[in-house]
Amino acid sequence: MRHYEIVFLVHPDQSDQVPGMVERYQSLIERGGGKVHRSEDWGRRQLTFIIAKIHKAHYVMLNIEVGKETLDELESSFRFNDAVIRYLIIRRKNAETGQSKIYEEELREQEKDRERDRRREEEIAARRRDGGSGEEGGREAVAEESAE
Amino acid sequence: MTRFRRRRQGEVNIQSEEVDYKDLDFLKQFIGETGKIVPARISGASAKFQRKLTNEINRARFLALLPYTDQHK
Repeated sequence: MRHYEIVFLVHPDQSDQVPGMVERYQSLIERGGGKVHRSEDWGRRQLTFIIAKIHKAHYVMLNIEVGKETLDELESSFRFNDAVIRYLIIRRKNAETGQSKIYEEELREQEKDRERDRRREEEIAARRRDGGSGEEGGREAVAEESAE
Repeated sequence: MTRFRRRRQGEVNIQSEEVDYKDLDFLKQFIGETGKIVPARISGASAKFQRKLTNEINRARFLALLPYTDQHK
């Protein structure tokens, strides 16, 4: 059994199938007596150049420990899956478990998005609160203004 | 003939560090404006380090994480 690092690019239209695909590969690896040491979903990223008329792709990385037959099986499943645009398999000396630089970046991005959503929701909630209780106050203010 | 070009010292003091195709910000230091890999004679990278760099940059390029050139699109 050897250690490998796999990155594959999934067509953005098939993006929602990614979790299912990863699960399928995981069960395939485990059935072959292998192990998944690290699994990262980098999400949809902009490609630096166009591949097959596509500008964006969903990146997934797996660090695994498998035998040759299982790896061959995996590779052929990549090759014959039309959703997989490109894949890279590298041999590694040992199991990598820490977060990769790209994944850290992706997580930071997601955190930012979540933060933005939270702030927006808070804003909406605050406005609703003001609108609900302060409606009469608002009308009064308008009346006062017009009286002046 | 200029056999001995002055190396920009201090450019690469990080040569002992592991190079990885996923560390894009690091790799970007070694590609020029046109997207090409900066030659070792300019960057001052050792031959061993330059080989590692080339390998990792090409991996990143294959995955469309880094450009081959600025002429894309």
